[in-house]
Amino acid sequence: MRNKRLLLLSVLVIGALALAACGGGQPTAAPAAPAVEATVAPTEAPAAETPTEAPAAEAPTEAPAAEAAASTDCAATLTIWADEQRAPVLLPLGDKLKADTGVCLNLVQKQFGQIRDDLKVAGPAGEGPDILIGAHDWIGELVNSGLLAEVSLGDLTDSFVPEGVAACNYDSKLYCMPYAVENVAFYINPDLVPEAPATWDDVKTLSQEIKAGGAKYGYLIQENDPYHFYPIQTAFGGYVFGKDENGNWNPTDVGIGSQGTIDAFTWLDGMYADGLLDRAAGINYDLMSAAFQNGDAAMIIGGPWMLDGFRSAGVPYKVVPLPAGPAGQSKPFLGVQGFMISAFSKQPLVAQTFLQQYVATDETMAAFLEANPRPSAWVAANANLDDDLKAFSESGVGSDAMPNIPQMSAVWSSWGTAMQLVSQGKQTPAEAAAEAQKQIETAIAGN
Amino acid sequence: MTATAQKGSGGASAPPGANNQPNSITGWIIRIAALAIIDAFAIWLVYMMIGDGIWQLATVLAIVTIGINIIFLRPQLYPLRWVSPGLALMVIFVAYPILFTIYISFTNYGDGHLLTKQQTIEQFESQVFLPADAETYNYTAFKNADGDFMLWLTPRGGGQPFTVTPGGEPVMREGEPPAELDGFTQIPQNRLLVELTALSALRFGAEDDSFQVSQQQFGVAAKYEQLFVYDPAADTLTNRQSGVVYRPVAGTWTAEDGATMQPGFMVTIGTYNYARLFTDPALREPFVMVFIWTVLFAALSVFITFALGTLLAIVFDVPEMPFRRLLRSLLLIPYAIPAFVSVPVWVGLLNPEFGVVSQAIKALTGGWAPGWFADPLWAKVGILLIQLWLGMPYMFIIVTGALQSLPTDVYEAADLDGANPWHKFYSITLPLLLITVGPLLVASFAFNFNNFTVIQLYNNGGPPMIGTASPVGHTDILATYTYRIAFASGRGADQGYAAAITVIIFLILVVITFFQFRYTNMLEERGENV
Repeated sequence: MRNKRLLLLSVLVIGALALAACGGGQPTAAPAAPAVEATVAPTEAPAAETPTEAPAAEAPTEAPAAEAAASTDCAATLTIWADEQRAPVLLPLGDKLKADTGVCLNLVQKQFGQIRDDLKVAGPAGEGPDILIGAHDWIGELVNSGLLAEVSLGDLTDSFVPEGVAACNYDSKLYCMPYAVENVAFYINPDLVPEAPATWDDVKTLSQEIKAGGAKYGYLIQENDPYHFYPIQTAFGGYVFGKDENGNWNPTDVGIGSQGTIDAFTWLDGMYADGLLDRAAGINYDLMSAAFQNGDAAMIIGGPWMLDGFRSAGVPYKVVPLPAGPAGQSKPFLGVQGFMISAFSKQPLVAQTFLQQYVATDETMAAFLEANPRPSAWVAANANLDDDLKAFSESGVGSDAMPNIPQMSAVWSSWGTAMQLVSQGKQTPAEAAAEAQKQIETAIAGN
Repeated sequence: MTATAQKGSGGASAPPGANNQPNSITGWIIRIAALAIIDAFAIWLVYMMIGDGIWQLATVLAIVTIGINIIFLRPQLYPLRWVSPGLALMVIFVAYPILFTIYISFTNYGDGHLLTKQQTIEQFESQVFLPADAETYNYTAFKNADGDFMLWLTPRGGGQPFTVTPGGEPVMREGEPPAELDGFTQIPQNRLLVELTALSALRFGAEDDSFQVSQQQFGVAAKYEQLFVYDPAADTLTNRQSGVVYRPVAGTWTAEDGATMQPGFMVTIGTYNYARLFTDPALREPFVMVFIWTVLFAALSVFITFALGTLLAIVFDVPEMPFRRLLRSLLLIPYAIPAFVSVPVWVGLLNPEFGVVSQAIKALTGGWAPGWFADPLWAKVGILLIQLWLGMPYMFIIVTGALQSLPTDVYEAADLDGANPWHKFYSITLPLLLITVGPLLVASFAFNFNNFTVIQLYNNGGPPMIGTASPVGHTDILATYTYRIAFASGRGADQGYAAAITVIIFLILVVITFFQFRYTNMLEERGENV
């Protein structure tokens, strides 16, 4: 008797679990569980909690916030996917939009990186957002999959940093409205480096002096990190992808095997050969920033995301422009974050107008800057930058954004491998560059 | 069906010696109620899934639910009730994903091919273009009591304004738009936003010569024309501006001259992904090297963890061992820490310059430490050491358990024959152990064959091999290596290709496992002779 009951109970529990699990696991069936849904309908806030929808009780993941919002007196509802740093800034805009126009804002908070993956599933299923926040280097992939609609900046184009707008271009069309531009610059320890070096050759000389003076490293770089190495590469004339006559990235012109890249690798190899860097050290990002924090390294390439760590560690630091090379100024990759409009939005024009009239304003842009201190893509907001961020901003002037074409995903691995092989002294710069070039071309041709 | 009827048939079909079947009314009611709840839930889920277009999973779920109902309502199927939860879970979580992966491997699903054909046609057909010399207008919108719209258009290049309604002719006007006009009321600027969606769906003016509000720019209208037209009969998309005709080729809209348009759509492409597996130079060239290391890695991982686990289990099986319980518990600690935590910790410990382990070795050898991450051989040794640390507790547990069930009489007989401890271990303990843990060793091998986490976290597959057609490292196993090829391809993630690779790895593993089980069976026969 007891056995029988137990069996039935376990069948019930397991069955329910199984069914619930596969229901929740089906990506299109429900918005991602961690998403916090906040319907910004000030007058209707209690209505969203009224359990009028029976299924809501059974499946908490199937949060009916969107339907609830639509069933109130909203004339229309705009759904926005934003990360935890942007969402609080957007929240008050909802009240304003509702008061002005009767359109409600449905703000869904998601992890930044999750937004891209979720869009690929939710967009085609018709459950995606109207507006999403994203990084410019997603654009190629998302546009090729038919997930993004064009964005227009209207008459506001000149209010944005030109590099930021350029980053949002793909195939001569604009796909995002930028709000932040970030790039690396040169960190120096003023106790060890009284004057910022002007060229990469100066960096080498200076490293020799600093090492002779007893410090562990002068300049320190990671072993396998093309992102931080790229500025050096450009200073020697190297590149990743060329551009066609319209200024779009040309995936058939790969520059990893170019002479400029080889020259940059040769400089790097020289740093190791002269004993200024250690071939066996296996330096990674954490070790690099830790070395600077301890005063073990006097110079590194790094981004604004390191500032907090250095400030709280109390290490003396200064952000200066990147040194130059034979081919001119070092040009770091720009990373641009912006607002995009889903191709599956039923009201792209409303989304468009919201971005132009409510987001592209001095107040909102200043609030983004305050929430996450990175140089803004809104020219006027950059008047308030502190000295460090200003230095980052200046370091990125005239640089290109990281290529946003999908072929970029075929580059990273081979590129990093080449850098690593040169660092470890296993291949000459010319061999490593040629091999990486071949691998990348093979991977791109394979598709 | 009544309780008595059930009693009769249930009793008849129950196997002899089985537990007495409980037949109370309460049990019956509970069973029906439980079934009803499961059914209601399943029906709701199936309904939701069909609504979302996930018909494959909906079908499987429906079949499983019907199966559960039959099993529980037919007394003849009584024995099946005990395994039905397991069967249901196996179908949903094992069989279905395998079948779905096989299906995906025959498609081009992935970045650039996420949509359905219909969705891409809709996207192309919604694109508009503006003929080169066309005028653009600023508009003011009007709405009457019936909800009809009217536009007041002012040429942006300068000229006389006019009004136009859907299907109507333009009417010339003068001056600025008034608040009221012909029964229409002007929509104030701040209310325009909520009308935009309705407004942008309309065409104003005669059918072949109409104005539309811009989908791109607020407040602008023009005589936009549809850019693409789909012809269902010919299955072609025609660009009306350039006249180019596009046909679907393997999920991509392709013109005569080979030019293609994005986005493409998802479609089955036959065995293309499998053909690519065998022709892709990036994959084929380093395959043998990677395959050999994969097998070595899995086999050695099992062997060393089993060897150390057995040794420790036997040592701690001795009752005289002091602090036996405490030490046994401590040995299980590595098992309690997830690999994605402990592997990075080990990576830090092994770092050639800063790691404690490397520093200690340097102190012992006078400055030399293994190139744990740069040297191909030492990188492999490093990974196996971590595997040993991670996997030993598992083997320790199962061997400790298996040792308790070994018969004592054979050892007494061996003692009488004067066998030494090594003989006893080799001729009695080990064969008997292998009978019990053999299948677990096979499972452990299969797990390590695809142990993505450890390889990826240790060194990303590195150090890199030199002179290969695609980036591949000395410690890459098939799973990490093919992951990189499928998800870092020229077009982003290529799930179809990844699925094909998965199916092939699955088949390789099936073959290896088959032979391993044959071997285990042989052990069993040998065990019977001990």
